[in-house]
Amino acid sequence: MFTDNPFAGLAAWVSSGAMQAFVIVMIAFVVLGTLHDMRHKKSSTYFFDNWRVAKRRGTRPVGGGDMAALALKTAAVDVLTSGEFCNLRRRIAHLLGMYGFILYAIATVVMVFGYPHAPTPVVLPVLWHLGALMVCVGGYWFWFFLRVDVAAEGHSRLRVVRADLFVLALLANATLALLWSWQQQANNGWSTAFLYLYVISAVVLFGSVPWSKFSHMFYKPAAAFQKRVENACGSRSNLPAAADRPELFGSVRRTARHY
Amino acid sequence: MGLFTRRKTVSIDADILIIGGGMAGCGATYEARYWGRDLKIVCVEKANIERSGAVAQGLYAINCYMGMQWGENQPEDHVRYARNDLMGLVREDLGYDIARHVDGTVHKFEEWGLPIMRNPETGRYLREGKWQIMIHGESYKPIVAEAARKAATEVYNRIMVTHLLTDRTRPDRVAGAVGFNVRTGDFYVFRAKAVIVSAGGASHIFKPRAAGEGMGRTWYAPWSSASAYALPILVGAKMMQMENRIVLTRFKDGYGPVGAYFLHLKTYTQNAYGEDYEPKWFAVLRETIGDYVDKHPVPTCLRNHAFLEEVKAGRGPIRMVTKEAFQDPHKETVGWENFLGMTIGQAVVWASQNIDPKHTNPELTTSEPYVMGSHATCSGAWASGPSDYAPAEYQWGYNRMMTVEGLFGAGDTIGGTAHKFSSGSFTEGRIAAKAAVNYVLERKREQPQVSEAECNDLKKAIFKPLETYTVGRNEIVAGTVSPSYLLPLHGLQRLEKIMDEYVGGIGSHYTTNEPLLTRGLELLKMLKEDLELLGAENLHQLQRAWELQHRMLTSEAVTQHTLYREETRWPGYYYRADHPKLDDANWHCFTLSRYDRHSGSWQLEKAPVYHIVD
Amino acid sequence: MPTFVYMTRCDGCGHCVDICPSDIMHIDETYRRAFNLEPNMCWECYACVKSCPQNAIDVRGYADFAPLGHSVRVLREEKKATVSWKIRFRDGREKDFVSPIRTTAWGSIPSPGELDAPEAGALRNQELAHEPQSLHIEGGLPALSPGQLKRGAA
Repeated sequence: MFTDNPFAGLAAWVSSGAMQAFVIVMIAFVVLGTLHDMRHKKSSTYFFDNWRVAKRRGTRPVGGGDMAALALKTAAVDVLTSGEFCNLRRRIAHLLGMYGFILYAIATVVMVFGYPHAPTPVVLPVLWHLGALMVCVGGYWFWFFLRVDVAAEGHSRLRVVRADLFVLALLANATLALLWSWQQQANNGWSTAFLYLYVISAVVLFGSVPWSKFSHMFYKPAAAFQKRVENACGSRSNLPAAADRPELFGSVRRTARHY
Repeated sequence: MGLFTRRKTVSIDADILIIGGGMAGCGATYEARYWGRDLKIVCVEKANIERSGAVAQGLYAINCYMGMQWGENQPEDHVRYARNDLMGLVREDLGYDIARHVDGTVHKFEEWGLPIMRNPETGRYLREGKWQIMIHGESYKPIVAEAARKAATEVYNRIMVTHLLTDRTRPDRVAGAVGFNVRTGDFYVFRAKAVIVSAGGASHIFKPRAAGEGMGRTWYAPWSSASAYALPILVGAKMMQMENRIVLTRFKDGYGPVGAYFLHLKTYTQNAYGEDYEPKWFAVLRETIGDYVDKHPVPTCLRNHAFLEEVKAGRGPIRMVTKEAFQDPHKETVGWENFLGMTIGQAVVWASQNIDPKHTNPELTTSEPYVMGSHATCSGAWASGPSDYAPAEYQWGYNRMMTVEGLFGAGDTIGGTAHKFSSGSFTEGRIAAKAAVNYVLERKREQPQVSEAECNDLKKAIFKPLETYTVGRNEIVAGTVSPSYLLPLHGLQRLEKIMDEYVGGIGSHYTTNEPLLTRGLELLKMLKEDLELLGAENLHQLQRAWELQHRMLTSEAVTQHTLYREETRWPGYYYRADHPKLDDANWHCFTLSRYDRHSGSWQLEKAPVYHIVD
Repeated sequence: MPTFVYMTRCDGCGHCVDICPSDIMHIDETYRRAFNLEPNMCWECYACVKSCPQNAIDVRGYADFAPLGHSVRVLREEKKATVSWKIRFRDGREKDFVSPIRTTAWGSIPSPGELDAPEAGALRNQELAHEPQSLHIEGGLPALSPGQLKRGAA
């Protein structure tokens, strides 16, 4: 299963053109959805207004070279290692989900566009399945154990609210991807059912961008970069500077769950 | 509860159950472990003991420290001070008891890591005033909570205790408590051999000055929801001096503290025209309170009185003259840090209005009334005193035990012990805990019997508001207006308005009389009936619903006591317009009440005051 | 001055939900991030502000009486045992303060259960734990004599 390209099997009765068109439509959903969200919420107006205020309040100028360095640092730490998370378990779960999704998505595109018929290099389906598995591990772990509304607020693990739309759609898509791939060979009713559900879950995942937390993957890096610039230019969002004292003691910060 | 959540019943047995994890509760937990090494000590708190209670934001001063080691004060001095400030009526045995131990508590705090400021010349604690020492107390509560966590068998956070339980065979003996988990909605039944109530006193029973968002900026914490009183009242414990509500003169809007300003910065007040207004009003007071006007220092309520009269005469706003003091950079720092370590909201107010005390003399105001037991006021439960010297009428065996057996109290819960503040409350917790350990061991760890039927009834009652809301919600389309249920905020605002208008709140210039009080009781009765129809949408609202229930019962007590005492003993706190004078001949006594939860009736009586003979 | 949470800073860790003495910091259902559910029950105690590892929580003075444009922000550094404040007036004036918060290591308070057990008989007297040494005086715990309290005028 892990070394078979499920799309190659699908190509038996769905044209590669149709598959490729579908992938393009999903990407368009994301781009258009994000742009619509930004325009509707005027989030870029807010972002740049905030940028200007912080710059004005700053005490040190931040030149182009510094900006570039900060951008690199943002990419390297905040984006690539999900550095903003203060809780280690949530950070790991996020990294699993993030890299899992990236692997799975890239492998999908490469397989659908690059190898619609020809035999597929084994590394691609392996990465595709691995990516989907990583999403499942990180995602289910998050869903059942780490969600703050469960861990800190005591809500039921089965409670679903709007904020769950993205992670549930993502989990559905990754889970159904694996289920479909598993049944794909059998070419029975299950594989067709899973395929339809898989397609629907993709439409929900990518189509619900204006209503879900999907676009945080674009907003968060921007916010992280802006935070680094604010610290560099001295405005620090009006926060006091760190005390000019040595560290004397360990910290007592406990993880959430005090009930 | 959601579609998939199931409500569990969690049963916990304890030797000593401590309800409320504030200063008093943490003190009790610590001391209980010291004396009861193998006892099961359980502390239960509706929030998180790390920051719960009135000391959440920290404190900048410890207001009850004798300084016996430097010969600064003796315990009797503190008793006289409290007696004077409360116009003669405090439990002097209890007050002495706290004063003789409190220095040890403060020294322990320092050992544990609380930064106490030192006088650079003398090396002693830096005094703010005769009783107050200055601290860097931002982490006062976390430090004290750490001591409690080290001591407790278990600390239960986010469990709101709603009722005490009494022994199935003896209604005058406590057996435990019930409540609910604010996060999961589980029902909790605590069975205990002794119970120490160290919960919060009463904020939000009188209409506050700010009625919108600003409602949150009460002087005393908004989460002090009178559980300290309601829990004992419901099981028939006698309460004392519930009429003795406190009004505070503080900085406007933020209610920031003035103690450091008066005592350390040596600032003073003046009216809008730059005049010192107090002496003329004190002179007039002689007509109503007689020689009490000669007390030194001037009792808190009398300073309030002068303030109120001056404002009524149209010469407000009253300001604190700070411009001179703030020229000194050290005093300026103290003036600001005083707020940052204790009432950050005042710093926010001044920053928002561009008030810099170096250039402006900030406004003062008098607050709405509060009912609590640890400040310049002493409402609370009637408790047995220390066995080594308390008069016979003040003791029935165990120190800080109420008139219900096995039920102890500390902190705002206990009446008659004014001016104990944070250190005194922690100390009182320690006193109550040692007594409770004695009580448990002397009874050979006898376990009281809890009635399962009572628990089931209480469980239904506790969660009823959730049911009421869910069912009643079907009647309306949307919004907050329903003919079939009351939201907790609705009930709270109605309670506050009744108390304000009939029992001497700010809206009636702190003045009431018998016709007003009688009418107030009628309206309170209807509100109490309506509380059967409280509707809670979720567990957070359920907590608010029970906080309101506790406030409701306490407000009844306050009104009954205010009606019973036919004199005006504390002008500046409240006035009985129909009995405007202080009447020592008839009322140099405590007022005690006992509530019968079956009939809903109140019995009021007098109790004698004993004074230390000099 | 109630609290609010910055969208771009909050990562939904739940520390504020855990610490709030008023039970008003909760998780928004659309964003899974924290918000102040009941600002009229917010005391501005800053417990949540100090507990947030991302400095995502700030305070805007109560709308009843606090004009906009001010800022009072805090950095509580447990490891340095300090708390730092920056006050920014509406008109731009700034004031900065730093204070110590603890002189001993976090977690260093000895459990009373691990101290030497009290002597036999100590349970029956008036002395609390660590007394009389902790009082730092000679002569033991002060007391009144039973006859010293007399009924007052009534």
